[in-house]
Amino acid sequence: MAVRRLMGPTGTVAFQMAFDGALLDAVAGRDVAGVGATVRTYGFTPPGLSLGWFQRLVDVPRAREMNAVARRLTGGGAIHHHRELTFAIAASADHPLYRGDVAGSYRRVHAAIADVLRDVGIRAELRADRALASDTAGTGLCFHASSSLDLVWPRRGDGALAKGVGSAQRRRTGRVLHHGSIKLSPDPEEPGVATVWPLPDPARERELEEALVTALGELLGGGLEPCEPHPSEVERALETQAWHADRHALQRRPSRR
Amino acid sequence: MRPDDRKYTRSHEWIKADGDTVLIGITDFAVNELCSGNEGDLVYCDLPEAGRLVEAGETFGEIESVKAVADLNAPVSGTVVEANPAIEDHLEILSRDPWNEGWMIRLAPKTKSLDGELMSAAQYEAWLAESH
Repeated sequence: MAVRRLMGPTGTVAFQMAFDGALLDAVAGRDVAGVGATVRTYGFTPPGLSLGWFQRLVDVPRAREMNAVARRLTGGGAIHHHRELTFAIAASADHPLYRGDVAGSYRRVHAAIADVLRDVGIRAELRADRALASDTAGTGLCFHASSSLDLVWPRRGDGALAKGVGSAQRRRTGRVLHHGSIKLSPDPEEPGVATVWPLPDPARERELEEALVTALGELLGGGLEPCEPHPSEVERALETQAWHADRHALQRRPSRR
Repeated sequence: MRPDDRKYTRSHEWIKADGDTVLIGITDFAVNELCSGNEGDLVYCDLPEAGRLVEAGETFGEIESVKAVADLNAPVSGTVVEANPAIEDHLEILSRDPWNEGWMIRLAPKTKSLDGELMSAAQYEAWLAESH
């Protein structure tokens, strides 16, 4: 079965987080009959900050001073979406890529990303049990905290080992959303992390994006079929984006209580 | 062999009769899927408060590990009687003893029957072997 490759859409951080939710609901046919494994890369206009699912504004000091903030479906720390390559994969949880433990699926996805990065001269490796120079207490940022499965490489400047790829999953009733960010060039909002290039380079960034999508498509086992988002996915995202960015809701953890 | 005094779901919850109520938790497979044997990888669990109504198949809570947030689904419909107060501060219980200490919620079920799409321990294990 072909892998759906979604082109865009570009939008605010609230819309993008809401669209990921729509994508998770759509895959395996919950909302849109027949929607199979999907890969998308996307941009943020303007740049924005996504909080991890259970984070509160108080957990991320910089978030309190930003307007473009929204809750992400996946957990972990906050991400400032700027000068990065952002991707999402949505698939059935019984897809071979996601079958078994969560750690195994990370290894498979991150190995594919490491291969793509190697082609642009970055030797990314799993952090394993090493300490990172990018780990910074108190910021609440994803790239300032790390786990053994994160991809790391020497950062620019001092060459110290730092996190350059972060990703996280949401698992919901037999479906998986895997969200990830590859830091392309330095962002003052996320100091000290590893980046692919020292400065923005749109042409090479587009090539990397294409290589990543191809690699993820191969990982999902199908030829890529470029598609526009289904109208119902866009509609669902537009309906729910306000919740993702609701300032009052961002002050507390989502709860079933 | 997993405990045969309860039923299992395809989303890896278990449900066990306990007097007029039922206890619900997640299986060792679910815990291991989330944290691969590293109990410290479980970081947060949100469970409902007493009195909440849940429908079979509906999400009653969420659990976060270092790398994934997973929904917890109700095997049957009913009213939440209580959530296990020990879970939130001691997530390691889920790794140590998912079957007893690690129960998550107590539910007053809408109906007495625990059949439907639930599996016995043997059926759950056969299904795991076939599909994972």
